[in-house]
Formats: sequence, structure tokens, C-alpha cells
Amino acid sequence: MHIMEGFLPLDWAVFWWIIALPCMAFGIYRLKKVLEADREALPLLGVTGGFMFILSSLKLPSVTGSSSHPTGTGLSTICFGPWITSVVAAIVLLFQALFLAHGGLSTLGANIISMGVVGPLAGYGVYRALRETRVNMYLTVFLVCALADLLTYITTSLELALAYPAEVGGVSSSFILFIGIFAITQVPLAIVEGVVLALVFKYIVQLKPEILLRLKIFPEEKIRAARSEA
Amino acid sequence: MPFKYKLEILAILAVLGFCALFLYTSSIMSDAKFAGSDTVGSSQIAEMTGKAEDEFQPLIWQWTPPSGEIESALFALQAAIGGIIVGWVFGYWKRQKKKTA
Repeated sequence: MHIMEGFLPLDWAVFWWIIALPCMAFGIYRLKKVLEADREALPLLGVTGGFMFILSSLKLPSVTGSSSHPTGTGLSTICFGPWITSVVAAIVLLFQALFLAHGGLSTLGANIISMGVVGPLAGYGVYRALRETRVNMYLTVFLVCALADLLTYITTSLELALAYPAEVGGVSSSFILFIGIFAITQVPLAIVEGVVLALVFKYIVQLKPEILLRLKIFPEEKIRAARSEA
Repeated sequence: MPFKYKLEILAILAVLGFCALFLYTSSIMSDAKFAGSDTVGSSQIAEMTGKAEDEFQPLIWQWTPPSGEIESALFALQAAIGGIIVGWVFGYWKRQKKKTA
């Protein structure tokens, strides 16, 4: 989902940076609040950020004959919400822009919006909708992670379509074209990412349920029920 | 099937399914190069604008890994950083759990 350095015209690069900056500023503010309230949230942040590092480094081949990588943002979205996730995603994307030439500094704003803001926001919507319902906790984690991944790539397609509308059909036909490149490739990856992160969440539930309860990530009954099953 | 490991079995099946899908795709699309979708997206932009890809000059100077091998090494480093943090925290939690038990 990286938009390569130089592939976004200056005005669009600046536009996405202007939206990304306040999101990250709010994320840093929220992060400070969370850590002030509970220092034990820090290791959990480490785990969610760690998985973002691991998963976004794996470039996997997919059905369209091209390769892509998962984003790993879903876990952090569930535990800390989309704004803090945007800060962690920005760190991962900065690493890749500086050392791997994947994405660039001018396109970083657009890449933060897709991977750190829109994807996680969509996932967070699903999480909030399902959190209190009878839907299985791990199924919720799966859906959040898969959707956050997929929406990231749909957003990238939209960002590129806005910057490069097709001569015939404008933004919408260009959007469909980019969806074909980015989002279709991503579907199997998003599914695998969702399942793997649901499994990771299970291990967090088994090892450190206290922190999930203290941060009120899922209702107590759900976590207790999941623990008694294992 | 032991109920306890339902999610583990599902995860293994998902990964195996993913591998099978890759084998199937690569057998029916013999010309597929499995280039990164970022690269495919960039060539699409070049095609749409009628410009050559190297005409898209970086707006901000960028360091590029000198070879594919170095790029792979740095990608592995990124995964390793994540792995170290995750492993450390899981170990830390396990130790805490033992202490309180």
C-alpha cells in the first residue's frame, strides 16, 4: 500500500500530510493519557506494535500474480483505538521510507492516512459494533484485523485515483483500476492476517487477561468465558 | 479434534490454504512475476500519465538500498525488531504470572 516517493504530486502529498498530522498529534496525546493511567499498558503496546513490524515486513505472493504485505494494525486498533495506532503505524512507515525505499517522506502522510487512520478507523467501527454483542470475541478480532488490512489498500487506491483520475471516466474508473491492483491482491492476505492475529489475541488472553480487563478491551464475561474454554 | 486448539487448527488451515492458492496461481499464471503491488501500482501510474517511471523524481531525497539482498536484509531486520519485542513481552508476562501464582 506504499505510495512510492515522487508518485504523488506535491499538492496531494501536502494535503494528506495536513490530515495526518492532527491524527498523530491526537494519538500522541491519547498515548500519554493511557500510559499515565496504567504503565502496564506499555508491554501490550509493545506486542501490538511488534506484530505491526513483523507482519508489514512480510511480502507475500497473491492471486493477482503480484505480492503484497499485511498491515498488522488490527490488534493495536482493538487495544488502543485508531489514533494511537496511527502513531505506531507512522513509526513502521518511517522505518520503511528511510531504510527500504518503500514509500517516501513526501508520501508518508498519504501512507499514514491509509494504514494508520482509515484502515484502523474501519476496524474500530466493527469492534465497537460487536464488542457488547454475543458475537464470539475471536471472530470480532478476526473481522477487525481483516477489515483494517483491506480498507488500508482501498484507501491507497482512492488516494491514487484522486491524484490520477482517468481521462475517460475520471476518478471512479481510475479507482476501480487501482482497486484491481491493490485490493484484490489483498483479500487472501487480509483473511490470513485476521486468523493469525485472532490466535495472537488468544495468547494475550491466556497470558495477561488483567491488562485486557483493566483497559476494558472486552467485557469481563467474554474474557472469562474465553479463558475457561482454553 | 481437541476443542482447546480450535483456533490453532484454523490458523494452520488458513496458512496452508494460502500456500495452496499460491501454488495454484503460479501454475496457471506462468508469466506472473509476483512483483510488489506497490511496483505494479507505480507502473500503472506511469502508463496512465504517459511518463516513464524514472521521470517520477523524488520530491524529497531518498536513500535506496544498493541491492535486493541488502533490501531483504533490512526487511528481515524489521521483522526481527518486531519479533524481539513480542518475545520479550510474552516472556515478561509469563514471569509475572509465575511470580503471582
